Amino acid sequence: MISERWGLTPMVKVEVVVAGEDAPSVTEVFKAAGAVGFTTVANVSGFGHHGYHQGLLAFNDRSSLVLLMVVLPEEHVESLLEGLRQIFTERRGVLFVSDTFVSRPEYFR
Amino acid sequence: MNAPSRAAALRAVVDLASDPLPILWPLETAIATNPLWDLRSRGFAGAVSVADRLLGATGYPSDDTLRLAYCEGRITDTDLHSALREYRLSAREEFGVREGPEHFDAAVFNAHHLDGRIDAEVARWCAAFLGGKLPRSSDGFYNAWRHSVSTTLWARRPKAKQLLSRLPPTAAEAAVFCLTLLGIDEHQWRSELTAHLARMPGWAAHAKWRSRWAAPGTPGPALELVDYLAVRLAYATLLGSETSGGSEASGGTARSQTAQSGWRENAPAGLDTIPALAGMDASEKQEIWLRSYEIHYRARLLRALTRQTSSPSQRPPAAQFVFCIDVRSEGLRRHIEASGDYETFGFAGFFGFPVRVHPWNGGSAVDLCPVLLRPTLEVDETPAGGRPASGSALLAAHTGFAGVGPAIEAGRQGEISPYVLAEASGFALGPVAALRTLAPQAFAALRSWVSTKLAPEPRTELNLQGASAPSDDSQALYAETALKTMGLTAGFAPVVVICGHAATTENNPFASALDCGACGAVGGARSARLAADVLNRPRVRQLLRERHIDIPVGTVFVAAEHDTTTDRVRVLDAGSVPPSHARLVENLQEAMSQAGRRLTDERSGDLPGADPSGATSHVSRRSVDWAQLQPEWGLARNASLIVAPRALSAGVDLQRRAFLHSYDPASDEGGLFLETILTGPMVVAHWINAAYYFSAVSPDVYGAGDKAAHNVVAGAGVWQGVGGDLRLGLPRQAVFDGERLYHEPMRLLTVIEAPPTLIDAVIARNAVVEQLVGGAWVHLVCRHEGTWLLKAGDGSWIDLPDGEPPAYPDSAGPVDATLEGLQTSRIGGGQP
Repeated sequence: MISERWGLTPMVKVEVVVAGEDAPSVTEVFKAAGAVGFTTVANVSGFGHHGYHQGLLAFNDRSSLVLLMVVLPEEHVESLLEGLRQIFTERRGVLFVSDTFVSRPEYFR
Repeated sequence: MNAPSRAAALRAVVDLASDPLPILWPLETAIATNPLWDLRSRGFAGAVSVADRLLGATGYPSDDTLRLAYCEGRITDTDLHSALREYRLSAREEFGVREGPEHFDAAVFNAHHLDGRIDAEVARWCAAFLGGKLPRSSDGFYNAWRHSVSTTLWARRPKAKQLLSRLPPTAAEAAVFCLTLLGIDEHQWRSELTAHLARMPGWAAHAKWRSRWAAPGTPGPALELVDYLAVRLAYATLLGSETSGGSEASGGTARSQTAQSGWRENAPAGLDTIPALAGMDASEKQEIWLRSYEIHYRARLLRALTRQTSSPSQRPPAAQFVFCIDVRSEGLRRHIEASGDYETFGFAGFFGFPVRVHPWNGGSAVDLCPVLLRPTLEVDETPAGGRPASGSALLAAHTGFAGVGPAIEAGRQGEISPYVLAEASGFALGPVAALRTLAPQAFAALRSWVSTKLAPEPRTELNLQGASAPSDDSQALYAETALKTMGLTAGFAPVVVICGHAATTENNPFASALDCGACGAVGGARSARLAADVLNRPRVRQLLRERHIDIPVGTVFVAAEHDTTTDRVRVLDAGSVPPSHARLVENLQEAMSQAGRRLTDERSGDLPGADPSGATSHVSRRSVDWAQLQPEWGLARNASLIVAPRALSAGVDLQRRAFLHSYDPASDEGGLFLETILTGPMVVAHWINAAYYFSAVSPDVYGAGDKAAHNVVAGAGVWQGVGGDLRLGLPRQAVFDGERLYHEPMRLLTVIEAPPTLIDAVIARNAVVEQLVGGAWVHLVCRHEGTWLLKAGDGSWIDLPDGEPPAYPDSAGPVDATLEGLQTSRIGGGQP
């Protein structure tokens, strides 16, 4: 086990890609689910169901895509996913959930 | 679902529930937006249908407006034929439009049955919170209310006391708690929350701005959507437990119902006498009439552009000017071009530098960019010679002088203080008010003299060097983007004037709506100065040369500002112009002043009560008259956006109705610059266009009402009268001339000179452009190789020979356009 071998603590990482204008909705859900911090990567590009998504739009942050990442203990994941599922009933975007490990668990509680 | 999951789900549902609501920026930065922006994926027709049902908002020009337009020849039979044909293509399939889950019928029903007392209570608390009158405001609206309401008589009622004692500590938990007590399960949350928001769309729109658009750390009490809804639901819970069945509505929905029923009675009659319209529902008929109205303008515009014969001068220009794309710049550009060998360009008025400026006097930072952008550059403004020391005489004078107005205002807002203020200062303020009323220009001159004596405005600089300044590379990158996007990369004149704009008005809560929208609804002088300073820096020019933009050593960039209320244009920082160019800049100042005077003469004929014989003096007086409700027409009658080299429109009188963005398709092979324009400036132009459109066609819901009866509410918005909901949109005086519409409500027509394949590629990779064009929020016409092409609703391109609508009849079938039933006798006659 990685956690035992390296002295790390298991956590869950959730990554969300949405339009910049929907980022506030996602971060509100992060906070409501108990996340104490998150990371944002602006102007990401890629290809998906709706074709190619341009990365940097020079004069519009709200329509370009952002990647939001949050790491939190497993007990908060259900709440987080419940909120995100609601968002994705109407908003475009993708969601990835994976196991991860952190060295300072108190930073994420 | 456990309790934390329910709270997280509620946060998400709150945002979705607010989709049908507009966004209301504070008055200080009154951004014009499309009130249906978050419904745009439904297409224009779908979105206005939702707004009609939920808010009673009319989505089309009134029957009377259209009938009048037909009788005056503003809509012709040919226009109707074309509209019908184009509509049939659109109805086949609208690309970029998708249906969403339908929550609105339940929301409409619920909104009609909510207790009107909730609105009255919540409106009072919102105003008190934003006015800074509630303790613990930093804990958010819900907790500030919970703390303060417990001290009121209302809270002593047993049921209220019991409810308050059980309310959870966070707004999201409280909302879930109340929804549970009300017996509303998760599947009904969204419609219930939408219903609550729809009751007072003004307050909801302010909360939506705070929750979804305000920058983190925006100063002032934060009225968030979830807090607003938690308080509403608490009242709903309590009133539900105290009464059986709700009383009738008294808020926004009641207003909406009136508008709705009035529309439905008046709409179909008279305008559906064409057999080809038989079988269509009311909204389809309205859509065709609106398109007819739009096509008439389009045909005239394209005809004028086709016939224009002026060609660019072969001589190098004596000077170049870069103006904001704002429609008010068009007239000034036309007059400047007519006065000499001058070349003009149009670009978004922040000139490509999304900057946050920290003012020299320690005031709040100012963001100078469209609200679609977050500032990525930070610049300190300093007086020439360095930042004044804390406590310096200059700073103290400015702080003291700037504090006079807010101090008087604070005195007017208190419970007792207005009486004290009147007693203590009435002897002085009375004569001042009399002078201000009887001789506004003299008062303005006196005030200017006093402020110059007591707190002179220092000459300032924007600090572009040093540790806190943006890097040279960063400055060069933004400069490169701006120059390439507007197609100004070679052939630089000895002087390039970068001209921002602002409006001088007095006693006008909506003053910022007349400033530069591309600068975040503030004046454009700082943006112009910043751009000129950056482009004059040798290091930036060196970096630009590496990027194939060679600005000659002999070229100087000079900042200027156009006052759109008075049409005065002044060079800024004239003292910084090198002696070698001083004479030329003096001549340009004179040319701009003359062009401004000609523009004043031109537009004063449209101003209500204007005196054409003394136009300059008249507009000057309007700008300083505190009783003036229409200092200028702003962007009223805006209708189109032209994205093309100036050669396409040079010499054509566009009547100050066109946003003009310079663009050179020859240097944009991949469409990157076109993409920048269509995802940025076109969206801003659409917002402005839609704000004017909906304020005109649905003034009861999306208009701010009569300015004469406005009361400002804590800088958040205005009341029409003394309480209730905040008003949305633009004041009546921005779109109406007396009882008649001055603004012509039409959707934005975007004209682009570029290959259609390039435009299609930009549309395909940008959902926002696809939604606007495919959803008929914006009409798109392409100019390519001498032909005009119209983007149809099914995504195809239709040939428009010489800009005229396609010939009729065609496969769409015959139309009997005998419109005898629409004669003048019916105009204004109520039921036709």
